[in-house]
Amino acid sequence: MNAHAPQAERPHVIRDAKGKRPQFYEAPGLDQAMSMIMVLANELAVLHDRLDSAERVHAAKGLDLAAEIEALQLDQAALEAREAWRQDFLGRLFYLARKDASEAAAADTAERFRATIEDIAKT
Amino acid sequence: MSAEMLNTFQQVDHPILPKPTHDEASRQEFTKSFKQFIQQGLLPGLGPVFGVRAAKAFEREHGRSPSDRRDIRSAMVKDLYFQHYAAANRIAQELLWESTNVTIDRELPELIEKARGLSASAKGKLDLPEEFDTPRYVTSIDIHCMPGGYAGAVAPDDISTGALYDRGVYLYAMGYMGPFNDDMGRSVCNYVNRRLDGFKPKRILDLGCTVGHSTLPYKELFPEAEVWGVDVAAPQVRYAHARAAGLGLEVNFAQMNAEETRFEDGSFDLIVSHILLHETSGKAMPRIFNECHRLLAPGGYMIHADLPPFDNMDPFTQFILDNETWYNNEPFWGAMRETDQVALAKAAGFPPESVKFDTAPMAIMEFVAQQAAGYSQDASAAVSDREFAAGEYAPGGGWEVLIARKA
Repeated sequence: MNAHAPQAERPHVIRDAKGKRPQFYEAPGLDQAMSMIMVLANELAVLHDRLDSAERVHAAKGLDLAAEIEALQLDQAALEAREAWRQDFLGRLFYLARKDASEAAAADTAERFRATIEDIAKT
Repeated sequence: MSAEMLNTFQQVDHPILPKPTHDEASRQEFTKSFKQFIQQGLLPGLGPVFGVRAAKAFEREHGRSPSDRRDIRSAMVKDLYFQHYAAANRIAQELLWESTNVTIDRELPELIEKARGLSASAKGKLDLPEEFDTPRYVTSIDIHCMPGGYAGAVAPDDISTGALYDRGVYLYAMGYMGPFNDDMGRSVCNYVNRRLDGFKPKRILDLGCTVGHSTLPYKELFPEAEVWGVDVAAPQVRYAHARAAGLGLEVNFAQMNAEETRFEDGSFDLIVSHILLHETSGKAMPRIFNECHRLLAPGGYMIHADLPPFDNMDPFTQFILDNETWYNNEPFWGAMRETDQVALAKAAGFPPESVKFDTAPMAIMEFVAQQAAGYSQDASAAVSDREFAAGEYAPGGGWEVLIARKA
């Protein structure tokens, strides 16, 4: 992380503010979900800025990256790599749906989970 | 303000300011954009939501209209639009500190070392007593939800919360305070220069100065004057001293409590504060006014730039403003606005005819003239010329000042 001192010896700033945080929503968990969504939106904006920076750095060096990107023709390998990435990403995004479907396929239930716990405790 | 106003105001780098990486800076900039969006995109919807939904729901429940800011609040907290607005405000505030703290945490020992070096090179004094009682209104909760508050310290000679505040003020104020966060001090300086009949202060004291961002313009605009900034938080004072040195201004800083400083009677002819009073307490505020009177020489001025009182504001405006009390760790924000500041000044000994509220126009157009980065003519004029809108950062046009002159 840095060249000056081992991380463990370095002082660290205080990360949380003193003072009880209010809840804005009635639905349990929604306050945390909203804050996570905004952190993700923030990182998306950072990524957007970084790509924009890359284009501007290239432009300053004489390469119009933005125009080159617009003109880029994807070959078969690139098309496949992009599509594979998107499908993998969507699969990860919907991992709970995948889990739900696999449970349904196996006719798995919460009752069976509890029964297993009891069973293992006894055997 | 026009919805198309693009706020590109940039903070200017200076030696002790933390140095974010590309992505850290981008993350911080986003929090400023988020605040601008809340102000321009979400805030205007609160009025209609109250009128067509929340007020009617309140009437159905209570058989009467909401009559004061407390009624309005009880109606609005149940409305999903308000919940989103208030949550977004809070999250923006939390992200602002979090994104800045990442940079400070990465650089902290180097920042502390740099501050030591800058302070050692400074001409201005740095006065830190060995023992100091930090008042409860500063330590009991972290004002503005700033982690560690003003006085939090994690290392010897720590300046982390000073660095956090310097960057945080820029983001919180969305750059409206100028490239050096000095608009309030600059505005009051201009007010002194233009409105006080040629009054030229020789010894100036800034109370509750934090990182000295409002203090430095006094030295810049009154170069012959001896200027002091005092604050109860040592990390702020240390950072302020290093910051002033880095910017090449000879200003003195001390850890002192504005209720009871260590200066002698009649030491100053101008005593100022900038958004200090609303972060003190019901007992501290009259003591600060008394201390100002004690510290001023005859003919000297006391000027506090802070929040205007709630009187004459409609209940909905009061409700919007009071959100800071509830959601941004500003415990005295609401009560301070109900305090009779004119009466406090008179009780402290200032002649009644010398005490008044006035407006010190914002200095933002000066940053355009200086061609400061991001201070476009259009955006700066939009900030300067707008009407007062509760919930927006800073009143349009100018800062409210309470002014009094010692006999």
